[in-house]
Amino acid sequence: MNAETQREEVLFDSARNLKDPLQRQAFLELACAQEPELRAKIEALLAAEPDAEIFFTESTSALKSAVENSSSAPASHPADGNPLTDEQVGTCVGPYKLLQKIGEGGCGVVYMAEQEKPIRRRVALKIIKLGMDTKNVIARFEAERQALAMMDHPNIARVFDAGALETGRPYFVMELVRGVKITDYCDANRLDTRRRLGLFVQVCNAIQQAHQKGVIHRDIKPSNVLVTLHDGVPVPKVIDFGIAKATGARLTDKTFFTAYEQIVGTPAYMSPEQAEMSGLDVDTRSDIYSLGVLLYELLTGRTPFDPKKLLQHGVDAMRRTLREQEPQRPSTMLTTLKGEELATTAEHHHLELLKLISLLRGDLDWIVMKALEKDRTRRYETANGLAMDISRYLNDEPVVARPPSRLYRFQKLVSRNKIVFAASGAVAVALIIGLSVSTRLFFMEKAAHQRAVAAEQQAELARAMEAQLRRLAETREKITQATVLLNQEKFDDADQLMSQVSVTQPMVEGAAVFRSLGEYYALQNQWQEAASRFNVLLQIDQLDGWDVCTLDYLKCGPALIELGDVDGYEHFRQAAIARFTGGTYPFADRIVKISLLLPASKKLMKTLEPLADVTAQSFSTNADVNADIFLAAWRSVSLALIEYRRGNYVKAADWCERCLNYPEHIAPRTATARVILAMSDQQLGKTGEARSELVQAREMIGNKFKSRLERGTPMQGFWFDWVFARILLNEATALIEGNPQTIQLR
Amino acid sequence: MSDVTLILQAVRRGDGQAAEELLPMVYNELRRLAAARMAQESAGQTLQATALVHEAWLRMVGDGNRSWQNRAHFFGAAAEAMRRILIENARRKSRLKRGGGQVRLNIEELELAATTPDDKVLLIDEALARLQVEDPQIARVVTMKYFGGMTNQEAAESLGVTERTVERQWAYAKAWLFRDIRSPG
Repeated sequence: MNAETQREEVLFDSARNLKDPLQRQAFLELACAQEPELRAKIEALLAAEPDAEIFFTESTSALKSAVENSSSAPASHPADGNPLTDEQVGTCVGPYKLLQKIGEGGCGVVYMAEQEKPIRRRVALKIIKLGMDTKNVIARFEAERQALAMMDHPNIARVFDAGALETGRPYFVMELVRGVKITDYCDANRLDTRRRLGLFVQVCNAIQQAHQKGVIHRDIKPSNVLVTLHDGVPVPKVIDFGIAKATGARLTDKTFFTAYEQIVGTPAYMSPEQAEMSGLDVDTRSDIYSLGVLLYELLTGRTPFDPKKLLQHGVDAMRRTLREQEPQRPSTMLTTLKGEELATTAEHHHLELLKLISLLRGDLDWIVMKALEKDRTRRYETANGLAMDISRYLNDEPVVARPPSRLYRFQKLVSRNKIVFAASGAVAVALIIGLSVSTRLFFMEKAAHQRAVAAEQQAELARAMEAQLRRLAETREKITQATVLLNQEKFDDADQLMSQVSVTQPMVEGAAVFRSLGEYYALQNQWQEAASRFNVLLQIDQLDGWDVCTLDYLKCGPALIELGDVDGYEHFRQAAIARFTGGTYPFADRIVKISLLLPASKKLMKTLEPLADVTAQSFSTNADVNADIFLAAWRSVSLALIEYRRGNYVKAADWCERCLNYPEHIAPRTATARVILAMSDQQLGKTGEARSELVQAREMIGNKFKSRLERGTPMQGFWFDWVFARILLNEATALIEGNPQTIQLR
Repeated sequence: MSDVTLILQAVRRGDGQAAEELLPMVYNELRRLAAARMAQESAGQTLQATALVHEAWLRMVGDGNRSWQNRAHFFGAAAEAMRRILIENARRKSRLKRGGGQVRLNIEELELAATTPDDKVLLIDEALARLQVEDPQIARVVTMKYFGGMTNQEAAESLGVTERTVERQWAYAKAWLFRDIRSPG
């Protein structure tokens, strides 16, 4: 080695390690006493160091992508890699003013920012560091925005917005969470295992809710699960939902490597299928795996695979490890810890190490290992399932993760009923296991026999309940999957999935799935399929609000008539009236209207009276509702129809006029009012007016059905509003022109 | 026993001819691997130099070969091979962007901050050639760390020095190279 450079290099190294400028000066003065040139050179090198660091970091994206296909997107962008400096605090990003840098991670810098409009609030603003295709990032975010907006859970940080800086880098705006990493929180507060599990169950519940909305997190790790204190109670919050998805595979890839030589821990939380990076095949069960890693770390202080070792032999070796190597059980992992590590871990858990090991051995080991299964079909099906098993553990009930041997079930039974079993423990054990001949003698003893029977019955009951719970969990899982498929517009796959389960319990998510499927078929004029999905929907939509479930009736009725199922419709309207009679429900007018789409018997008309009265009264009593022109105009249509069916044609015509006189017009509503007006006029002998109204209505409705029906919106009218209008139009045509010249569906 | 293992043994015996044969073999293997990887991976996937080098090691020598001298020679050659591959690539991309023939980079014409990553790599490599004249050992550290993507430990093993030395020399080299790039002429 060159002696001169060696000297330079040693001096440079010593000087740069002196952070105090005065000390550094003094050192150089002493070391380069007679050599001003040398000193100048060292000083120049020291001055160049920060810029050199940036220069080298900026160049590495070219190295990383240099072996890439040259036809792929250019790896460089002028805005790439420019580290956002703190000077930008105080500047504005869109409507957000950056206040303070609060964090920096592998993929971005997080700022606390202030939003002025529409509301004044503090938010967290995350600017993505890496050179990415901003347009795609934002498009992917937009695709998920609706689902993200629907997520309203105390343990999930909301994601408000996404946008792009002038330099083209994407940013995300999130609820500001002031908290610490869940692992740090637990260790710093020396939480015992029970309390750690309690926090973890809350995290599972949050993830479950997101999965039910069709959102997969994809990047669950301690730094994305923060703990905040609410009145002294720790509350975990999952942050960064939707961001891994939006930033896509490139980010997942790059989070392996922050700086060129440095490898960060993210792969440690990746499921084997995620590490394959095929990008297509990641579903909710990938999050279950990451939850398993998080649980592992909460219990042992380590991840199943050492993040450093994981990548030291390259990406392929990492994939192989994740795919093939079984991690150590948590309790085994603890036994391999040495000296200081061991003491620290026990200290963190506020427990002697041996006790901690024996606590983990058994159920907790199995729960963790089930979540970490390589084959995702063998993992917990849902986050809920994982949470439930932990709750079972906490309640001394049998966990699902454990292979259900009879001995094991019995152990659980014993520990739950300690007092009962304390007396006759030995006897009962012998009976249940039923091993030795000598114990058969105990059958002769009446008391023991009774206890044995009682224990068997209890075990039987537990088995039955477990089976039921498992079925329920399976159904929920299928529904979660179907929701995801529907989000991806894979309607046939979702329908196929739902045909495998029978859903009978009211359930919001299930209702949403059947609602989507019914509408999908209705829009394709497959009325048989539509009606059958809607029929299920009406059995399980009780947990939805009145607005939503009365609209469900508006969907089902027309489907049954289009199908030609008159008996089905008759049954349907009787059930509808029965369900909604007996209270002053809002939207009673919808039930009135949907029950009169075909002429009704006297008896049915009578049962409909209370709902009709509620509708009519709203015009005289409820000033508030009356002020809502939109709803009032719809109610007028219902009242017109019932008066028409009653034979009060003058009143019917009045309500129609009233509807048409409201200032804002919803096309299918106006058309319906004109059809009823035409029929009323005809009945009153005003044939000229009747024909004129009929022509107008037919033109409106005919135009609509020239093109494919769309789902619609409240202000345009929905598809079922149009089908409703068309069914009545056919009735009016037959009445006025004598020949049912119907408009064909496309 | 593979060809590479035989060559590595010859290199250990001080056979200069063998050392010259090693580089092109490793170079070809790395090129082939990179191309094969690219064909498998989806577009937009990035490949790590360090991953490629390790894979080449496993393929050409095998994991069973634990002789550290062999590893050291191999990784030294691989880092140099990797440097050539990366530089060829950066040249090609830089040319593509300028839409024409080879352009000699001149810092006076280019605003440093606006330089693309590919041009930065080329500038670093040019400066590295000058460092090579000044101090070949520090230049080797740069090749291993920067182009070969090796860890301090791997580079230290390969060069037969301590990790701390590698760390020190790498820090010095970055400042030296950057100063050289920025200095006029």
